[in-house]
Amino acid sequence: MTKDSQPDLIIVGAGPAGLSAAVVAAEHGLVVTILDEFPEPGGRMLGQFHEEKGHWWVGKQIAHNLIEQCCALGVHIRCGVSVHGMWKNGHRWVIRTSDGSITAANVLLATGGAEIPQPSPGWTLPGVMSIGAAQVMTNVHFVKPGRRGLIIGVNVLAMAIARELSVSGVSIAAIVLPSQSPLSGKDALPKENVEKLLGLAHLAPSPLMRMGGRAAHSLKMAGVVTHYFPRGGIKLWDIPLKLRTTAIAINGKDRVESVTLADLNGRGEMIAGSEREEKVDFVALAGGLYPLAELASVAGCPFVYIKELGGHIPLHSEEMQTPVAGLYVAGNITGVESALVAMAQGQLAATSICRDAGLLGSQSDTKIAEAKQKVQQVRASALIQFHPGIPKAREQVYKMWAKGCDCVENN
Amino acid sequence: MKHPSLVICRCEEVTMEQLEEAYASGSCTSRQLKMKTRATMGACQGRVCRTLVETWIHVKNPDGPRDAELLSYRPPIRPITFGQLAKDEA
Repeated sequence: MTKDSQPDLIIVGAGPAGLSAAVVAAEHGLVVTILDEFPEPGGRMLGQFHEEKGHWWVGKQIAHNLIEQCCALGVHIRCGVSVHGMWKNGHRWVIRTSDGSITAANVLLATGGAEIPQPSPGWTLPGVMSIGAAQVMTNVHFVKPGRRGLIIGVNVLAMAIARELSVSGVSIAAIVLPSQSPLSGKDALPKENVEKLLGLAHLAPSPLMRMGGRAAHSLKMAGVVTHYFPRGGIKLWDIPLKLRTTAIAINGKDRVESVTLADLNGRGEMIAGSEREEKVDFVALAGGLYPLAELASVAGCPFVYIKELGGHIPLHSEEMQTPVAGLYVAGNITGVESALVAMAQGQLAATSICRDAGLLGSQSDTKIAEAKQKVQQVRASALIQFHPGIPKAREQVYKMWAKGCDCVENN
Repeated sequence: MKHPSLVICRCEEVTMEQLEEAYASGSCTSRQLKMKTRATMGACQGRVCRTLVETWIHVKNPDGPRDAELLSYRPPIRPITFGQLAKDEA
């Protein structure tokens, strides 16, 4: 057996959490292999950039720095390799991949999140894609998803990516609400969305404030009485954000040709006669993200349901351990947050793994405390807050962990 | 029902109407909906529609259980060839 087929630690996912964890673990002498199904490492950071205090945060650059550090430390990064199963054989995990099996004493799942679609009539037409797909096409592959698009669904991710698309020269006709159905729930109501955005606007520094002070100001004005939210929407940079407009249907013969829009009153009821067609050649659906945790389930980890963190998440401690020996988690698999939080979580998870492997000696308590503190600091100052209730929801998970399996779903 | 023909599970081509029918005939958890309609059982193994099916049933039946195990994950969790599955199995 070579060193490559029997590392000390296997990390699944070469995104912000996985790469950051690999650097810390390798610095402490662990032999690390990272697996990722995408053809290149970096995860979703490859497509992310935003303006922060007058300069640009470029995810691709951050990813390249981490990859360089990994290479210098001898971390083996294997891309284009899918993990399709895992089990424990004695004290070692057997990781089954599309390119054979490898084993390790410890596994860190840093598999990130996946997108939730926003189904509308016509959403199976070519030219309809998830908002993340539009981001990857534009910023990773440098292919424009179309000439003029419409975004259905209002959330932080939709707004951040709308901005990226606009900077990349892709025209966005509008960001509108999904049509009402049992699937969209409150996402389709103007009042709920104004409240959601106001909730974000109250955070300092908030994405909306950052994205344009005027937008936040308009929202505050609108929030007084939702009814007065301008029917024509407000402009976020040059993109119309229309919280009183809904997408009724996506139309086209062989591909997207237009979207039927209609206006809503303050209670979310459609205004008769307001239907019209908006000519677009692509549609991006933004239903938000959920933690991608299939492997944790296959490995036997119990789950808890926490709405604020994106749904079902593997039970874990603040130190990123799971109840399953030798299995750790970090990044969006533990709840949907920004890349910076994921990086700090990856460092904390690797510190825990090194502590549990007995590599930290007398320094272990200090190092764990420092890594935990860093996660909290980064979370508190994160520019992109996916949900205002995250810190409280995190506390809830750690309480469940402390209580043991009493409150776990599948006990 | 506003959009009876709206496709929910793209892999298995399960529509909103079929979910409604399954619910009316007594399927009141995500697992029962899956067994009845094959929603979440296609090539993507529910990576696209599982949250939709969960949200839909939760609106219909708010008191029902919200348990990750209802829509269970089983290996192989990615589409692979028999060759890949058999690789290094002696």
